[in-house]
Amino acid sequence: MKEKLMQIYADAETRVLEAKTEGQLQEVKASVLGKQGGLTELLKELPKLDPSLRPEMGKAVNEVKNKLTELIETRREEIRLKASEIPADFDYTLPGTQPLSMGGLHPITQMRYDLDDAFRSMGFEIFQEDDITTEYYAFDNLNFPPNHPARESMDTYWIEGHDTGKPEDKLCLRPHLTGGSVRYMQTHKPPYRFVYPGRVYRNETTDARHERAFFQYEALIVDKDFTFTAGKVMIKSILSKVFGRDVPVRMRAGFFPFVEPGFEIDMGCLVCGGKGCSVCKHVGWIEIMPGGTPHPNVLRAAGLDPDEYTGFYVNIGLDRLVMMRYGVDDVRLFHSTDLRFLEQFH
Amino acid sequence: MKLSLNWIKDYVKIPDDMDLKQLAFDLTMSTVEVEGAEELARRFDGIVVGEIKEVLPHPNADKLRVCKVDIADGEIHDIVCGGSNLEAGMSVVVACPGAMVRWHGEGEPVEIKNTKLRGVASFGMICASVEVGLADLFPVNDDHEIMDLTSFGIPAGTPLAKALDLDDIILEIDNKSMTNRPDLWGHYGIAREISALYDLPLTQLKPFDAGKVETLPLEIADVERCPRYMGVKMEGLCVKPAPFEMQSRLWRVGQRPINALVDVTNYVMMALGQPTHVFDADNISDHITVRRANEGEKLLLLNDKELSLSNDDLVIADGEGAVALAGVMGGAKDSILPKTEKVILEVANFESTGVRRTALRYDNRTEASSRYEKAVDPERCDLALSMTMELFAELYPEMKVIAFNDVYPNKLVRKEIDVELSWLDRRLGKRIPNEEVSKKLGLMGYDVTFTDTNMHIVVPTWRSTGDVSIKADIMEEVARMYGYENFQPTPIVTSFEGAINQLDVDLVRKIKEYLAIRCGMQEIFTYPWMTDSFVEAILQNTDGILKLATPPAPDESYIRSSLIPNLCKAVVKNERFYNEFAIFEEAQIFKDENYTSPYDEREKLPSQRRNVAGAFAAPSDTVPTLFRKAKGVVENMSRFTHMEGFEFTRDNKPVWADDVVWLNIKLGEEQVGNLALLSKKASLACGIKNLSVVFFELDTDALKPFTSRTNTFTHIAEYPTIEYDVSLLFDVNTKWDEIKATVLKKKNSDSFLRDVDFVDEYKGAQVPDGKKSVTMRLVLGSDEKTLTSNEIEACANTVIKFLVKNLGAEMRTK
Repeated sequence: MKEKLMQIYADAETRVLEAKTEGQLQEVKASVLGKQGGLTELLKELPKLDPSLRPEMGKAVNEVKNKLTELIETRREEIRLKASEIPADFDYTLPGTQPLSMGGLHPITQMRYDLDDAFRSMGFEIFQEDDITTEYYAFDNLNFPPNHPARESMDTYWIEGHDTGKPEDKLCLRPHLTGGSVRYMQTHKPPYRFVYPGRVYRNETTDARHERAFFQYEALIVDKDFTFTAGKVMIKSILSKVFGRDVPVRMRAGFFPFVEPGFEIDMGCLVCGGKGCSVCKHVGWIEIMPGGTPHPNVLRAAGLDPDEYTGFYVNIGLDRLVMMRYGVDDVRLFHSTDLRFLEQFH
Repeated sequence: MKLSLNWIKDYVKIPDDMDLKQLAFDLTMSTVEVEGAEELARRFDGIVVGEIKEVLPHPNADKLRVCKVDIADGEIHDIVCGGSNLEAGMSVVVACPGAMVRWHGEGEPVEIKNTKLRGVASFGMICASVEVGLADLFPVNDDHEIMDLTSFGIPAGTPLAKALDLDDIILEIDNKSMTNRPDLWGHYGIAREISALYDLPLTQLKPFDAGKVETLPLEIADVERCPRYMGVKMEGLCVKPAPFEMQSRLWRVGQRPINALVDVTNYVMMALGQPTHVFDADNISDHITVRRANEGEKLLLLNDKELSLSNDDLVIADGEGAVALAGVMGGAKDSILPKTEKVILEVANFESTGVRRTALRYDNRTEASSRYEKAVDPERCDLALSMTMELFAELYPEMKVIAFNDVYPNKLVRKEIDVELSWLDRRLGKRIPNEEVSKKLGLMGYDVTFTDTNMHIVVPTWRSTGDVSIKADIMEEVARMYGYENFQPTPIVTSFEGAINQLDVDLVRKIKEYLAIRCGMQEIFTYPWMTDSFVEAILQNTDGILKLATPPAPDESYIRSSLIPNLCKAVVKNERFYNEFAIFEEAQIFKDENYTSPYDEREKLPSQRRNVAGAFAAPSDTVPTLFRKAKGVVENMSRFTHMEGFEFTRDNKPVWADDVVWLNIKLGEEQVGNLALLSKKASLACGIKNLSVVFFELDTDALKPFTSRTNTFTHIAEYPTIEYDVSLLFDVNTKWDEIKATVLKKKNSDSFLRDVDFVDEYKGAQVPDGKKSVTMRLVLGSDEKTLTSNEIEACANTVIKFLVKNLGAEMRTK
């Protein structure tokens, strides 16, 4: 019997030391100390023994029991503190499972919201307006006489059956946003600080760089004695926030019908850091938006005295900005509805 | 536009040590975008003049020769060549190893290497003009001719660039950056800007003096469209090549030399931006009239295009009819012929928008029309005439002026602008001294006078055609010449009046983010126009739909009155690659109704409402699941976007919807949208092959955002709530809404019933015909104690009995 006890102890000790998890340890404990455990069975045999041997044997069994219990608890602590219960061959390189469903905002919307957040943080309101406007607001109100090249250059989508000869009746899909900005100014009191995101439409031939529908983002400040040098601060702040780093900005001479003076606004190429690369055509700068001081005619259309009020205006081409953000090389993809394209920007 | 720096230097003395990069940068920052500056000579690196000493037959090829060529490097080189005009003593162009040439003028330039041609070693290559890019200057009679420089008398070994005086810089200017500057469309205009930028003197051109000659009979019938017409009739000219230097300059800026008479007109246009034209005087009958064309009048252009003219076109006509399209192109009848020796020179000014309309009408834009349409000033005619006559006099010493006339009824008035100095200071953010302002503006041709508080500006004629007209223009002139980079950035100052709170704007964003991020839908953008086949399939008729007058395609004229047709098109497109997907679009829809305008009472704008619509596409056997998924998205939208919630009704089935699976979405009494399965018929008509599609559409303009969150706090239950599932049989037509309402009738203060949720429904073999099994989950609980199993059973049984009694439910165990 004593030999049997020793055998049980030896086996149990080995198994305890080999146990790698609490579960395994629990199994060992059950098989030795449990109701049907080896040691318990052995105790049941105690009455069969010669009475003189019983106390010694009983003591021995209890000692083993205590020793094993202690051993198991010690081992349990070891396992808890140090080891993993997971086998070492666990493959942590297996791919994670996807969230239940995948969806996302259009990359243009993402950029728009980034800009919204940036401008809001600088106290700008967000203005939205209708896609269909009249010739009056698209052109006449901004003082572009009929046949003015600027009017002709924006080949406009006119709506059928709405050409009565009166510009207030003649409908079109808006060719630009500035007419809408005038609507904002007409219904609010200066000073103004607002952005106007929207899609505009031009009846043109499409290719990788040209679309019939594209997204603009107009930002306008109108106040007394605002200089274009403050406009530069505004653009630099916005671009730096959107792109998450300091973005060099330069303003150079440019002509746009709604501003005087007008600027082409370039940002330092983020791909090469201004050293020159294929993205920036080796000049280190990328033309990003037109801007400038609102033309007196625009202010007049809004009912303001251009001698009193001035400001700063930019018109950001969202498509272009997004193309640069991701290296997209075909503007037509934005309206393609192709999920293989869109889901790249989740 | 291409510009030659050497040519510019004719008019402004640019210092030789001027850094080219700086010049390009300064022009870009202050005037026009310089897209490139090319050192012309670099194109001819490694290309030299060689003299053929001897021409020997090639041992292995009949058409090749072996030339002994001297390029003055102490050796005589063997060069294998197939040229048809090879001769000993001939001066030729040799591309040495390392030079870049275009084989036969085609493809990308390739590097010349020492090679063997049919077994004979050849040093470099004797080039044809096309191979070194000079075909325009050295035209050939047959394709095998090599370029012959013998007549130039250049010593062997001279680099080709030096031999032909091609040491020049070619500036490439972005045309778009000077659409508003008619004065810049020539070398002289850019020279003037450079003169102002660097305070350098500009060469002044002398006006022409015709002397005492007959008056050329001229008549302008439409003075608006032709403000000025100068004509000079002369004889003693002939058609011959222009001097090489003139040809070379034209070639550098992208013009092909033709003959001296035509080249002079092109040269003047490139120099001054003023188009001119020469007529063969013998082909002009009677005298010249500038008039509107008669409707349907015929004109054969120089480029053999036969036009049937409109009354809106301006023509140059003689006694017999139109001879040229004014400002656009000459006619075939009056053109310069090899025998021409008497010409009439036209230096005229035509009104910009008329020229533009005519050029666009016949799709016939030319160098001349593109300049006129920028609004050239009529005073420039004087300079152009003077330069042209000087050049003719040089080229044709025998030339004699027979008659001259200048019809210029309304002299261009120079614009005058007053600028308050205090205003200028405020807008610039700094004070620039009067002397500096005066000097810069003076160099650009402005006359400036100051008083204590004002400056009075007289704008030069070349800026008075619309470009400069208000004081903001003057401010721009001052700022750009001072240098935009020289102004310090200034902080933006503002006053705070309140936080920005735009609930409507924020709601649309919340909805889009909810759909994209929480519901796993992909946002798409489609055009506002719809394809006819989808309009037919989905909307079924076109009443009240607006239409484009000039649609992007013949079958895309209707603009959307619903977002569904374009979403459907997107489903068709993506079905090829995806088995299951969900997409949405947020955009405006338009209807031919409710014409109003909140801005201007005269204005009449149609109904335009912001909508959001989604499509859930999945294999056809999953319609019930798909519908519940879409319904869940709509149902939960209000909770997650914090707006008033919807109800579902069945009042008006959308035309595109399945007969059974559809709901209207209501906000109070107002219908704000639909949720439905696309009918099989519409689905087939759209070309959807395998998937079923459930759509929702919502009028977001009608939605009502809460001003703040409305979630309310309730205490976390002290005693556990119990979920108890019950399965009962119902008639198949019994709707869940009824079941739920019936169960909740038992929810009262005495009952432990808290709520009931749908778990599952089953129809099929396991239940009798006409029945369905519905499993629901009762939520039971008490604020006072933990429920015992007896209490739970009792409560559930009460509910079951109530359902049996009121809805005819049966226990499933039967």
